[in-house]
Amino acid sequence: MLALWHPDDMCLRKKAAGYEKGMVIIMAKNSLKRKERRAGLLFVMPAMVQFVCFFLLPLCLCIFASMTDWNVLVKNKNFIGLQNVVELFRDSKFWIAVRNTVYMLLPIPFYMVLGLLFALACHKEIKGNKVFRVLYYLPYVSSIVALVLLWKWLFNSEFGLINQALGLFGIEGPNWLGDPVWTKRMIVIMIAWKMIGITSIYFLAALKNVPPVYYEAATIDGAGSVTQFFKITVPMITPIIFYLLCVNIIGSLQTFIEVDLFTTDGGRNYGVATVIYYIWQKAFNYSQMGYACAAALVFGVMILLVTLLQFKLSDKWVYEGE
Amino acid sequence: MKMRTDKKIIRMLVFFVLLLGGLTMVVPFLWMLSTSLKEANLVYQIPPQWIPKPADWKNYVELFTKTNILSGIGNSVIVSICVLSFGTFSTSLSAFAFAKLDVPCKNGLFLCVLSSMMVPFVVLLVPQYIIYTKIKWINTLLPLIVPASLGSVSMMFFLRQYMSGLPTELLEAAKIDGCGYFKIYCQIFLPLCKPALISNIIMVFMGTWNDYLGPMIFVNDSEKYTLQVVIKMLNSYHETQTDIPLVMAASLIAILPILILFIFCQKYFVDSMAITGLKG
Repeated sequence: MLALWHPDDMCLRKKAAGYEKGMVIIMAKNSLKRKERRAGLLFVMPAMVQFVCFFLLPLCLCIFASMTDWNVLVKNKNFIGLQNVVELFRDSKFWIAVRNTVYMLLPIPFYMVLGLLFALACHKEIKGNKVFRVLYYLPYVSSIVALVLLWKWLFNSEFGLINQALGLFGIEGPNWLGDPVWTKRMIVIMIAWKMIGITSIYFLAALKNVPPVYYEAATIDGAGSVTQFFKITVPMITPIIFYLLCVNIIGSLQTFIEVDLFTTDGGRNYGVATVIYYIWQKAFNYSQMGYACAAALVFGVMILLVTLLQFKLSDKWVYEGE
Repeated sequence: MKMRTDKKIIRMLVFFVLLLGGLTMVVPFLWMLSTSLKEANLVYQIPPQWIPKPADWKNYVELFTKTNILSGIGNSVIVSICVLSFGTFSTSLSAFAFAKLDVPCKNGLFLCVLSSMMVPFVVLLVPQYIIYTKIKWINTLLPLIVPASLGSVSMMFFLRQYMSGLPTELLEAAKIDGCGYFKIYCQIFLPLCKPALISNIIMVFMGTWNDYLGPMIFVNDSEKYTLQVVIKMLNSYHETQTDIPLVMAASLIAILPILILFIFCQKYFVDSMAITGLKG
C-alpha cells in the first residue's frame, strides 16, 4: 500500500500540475505585459517625438552651429571652434547686456515681500479677500503685449497718468520711455506689479500648511505675533521661498519681450538690452546664426551655474522638515 | 476689550492697504477702457477725463473695419483650438502611460522629457528657426501648432502626478474585464482627472493666446499674424503718431477672452497657476 501511494510521487504530480498552471499564468502574464508595454510605448510616443524633434535635434544643431561661422546670408560655413565664444567675451555690448540682465533681478525682492504680505492678509481672512484676489491676479493673466501698450500710454512723459499724478505732488516726472535708466526702472515696476498676485498664491498655499499647533504653543509661551512670524512662519515657508527664488531668478534672467516692446534697438547706448535680446538681435537682425548659438549656449551654462550655486547655498537656510 | 479694539484697528488698516493695492492693480485697466472710448483729441486733455463724454464706440468699429484684427483673431483661434485639442490629448495620454502603465525604461524616458524643461528657450530658438526654414514652416502657423500639439512637458508632469494619485486597482480591474488600454485611458482615467484637465486646458489656452515670442519670430507674413502681433504692429506702425484710443481698444480686445474665462473659472485658474505659473 505504502509503495503504491508514495507521498513524494503525489507531491511531484501536484507540483508538476501546479508548474504547468503557473507556466500558463506566466505566459498569459507575459503576453499581457507585452501588450501593456506596447500600449505604454505607443502612448508616450507624442512626448518622445516632441522630445527628439523639437528638443534633442535643435540642441544638437545648436552645439554644432556654435562652433561654426554660420551666417544665413553667406553660403559656406566653416568650422571655427571656440572662436565665437572668444569673440563674445570681447564684445563690450555683451557685457552691457549682462549688466542689464542682472538689473532685471531687482523686482524679485519687491514682489516676493509684497506677495508674502498679501498672502498673510488673505490668510487672516480680511473682509473681501476673495475680491482682492481676483484683482491682484488680473495683471498676470493679461497678455504681455497689451500690458506693455498700456504702460507705454500710462508712462507717456507728457500726457501719461503717472507723470500727471506725480505733477500733483509737484514732482516733475522723468522721461520714462526715452531715458534707458528710467525705462529699466519702469520695467522693474511693471514686473513687480505683475508678479505680486501669482507669488501670493504660492505663499498662501505654504501658509495653510503650517500646523496651527506651533502657533498655539508659542502663544502659551507668551510669544508675540511678530516673534511668531519670524520664528515660526518664516522658517516653515523657507522651502517655498527657495523654490520661488530659483524659478524667478531663472525667469528674470530671461527677460526679453519687455525690452523688445519698450525699446527699439535696445534703447539708447544699448541701455536696456538684456542677454536674450542681444542673442535675438545677432540671430535675427544680423543673421549670425553660429554666433547666436554660441552666445545662447554660454548663457545657458551661466544660468545653470547660478541655479547650482543656489542649490549649494540652500542647505544653509532652507527648512527640510523633521 | 482693549485688545479687541486694537485688533479691529489693525484689521481696518490691513483692509485699506489691500484696497490701495487692489486699486493699483485695476486702475490701469479702467484707464485702458476709458481711453479706448475717447476721441483721439480728447486723449491729450489735461486734467484727464475719466468718464469720456461722449463715449465713443467709433474706435471699435474702426478696429474691425480698417485693421487686420479680424484675421489676427482668426489665426489665434485656429492655433488655440489645434493646440488645445491635440495638445491636451497627447499630454494626458503620455501622462497616463507614465503614471500607470509599464513602459520600457520608463524612468529614463521620463527624466529625458523632464530635462528638456531645464534648458533655456533661447538655446533652442535659433536652431528651431533654422529647422523651420529648412522644412518651409516659416510664415505658416505650423511652428506654433505642431510642437505644442505634441504636448506640454510641465503639464504632463502635473497630470502624471495627479494620475499617480488615482488607485491602480482601477487599472487592474479593467484589465481583468478585458478592457483595452486606450479604453481604460479615455473611459476611466480621463473622466477622473477632470479638474486637473480643466486647469491644464486653461493654462495652455492662456499661454497660447498670450504668446508673442513664437509668432513674432516664426511668422512674418501679415496675413498669418496672431492677435498679439497684430496689436503690437498697430502701435509701431504709427510710432510717431500712434492712435492711442485705437491701440487701447485693440489691447482690451486681446485681453477680453482670457479675462472672461478668468472671472468664470477663477478656481481652476488659481489651481493651475499654483502648479505651473511663473513662466512669464
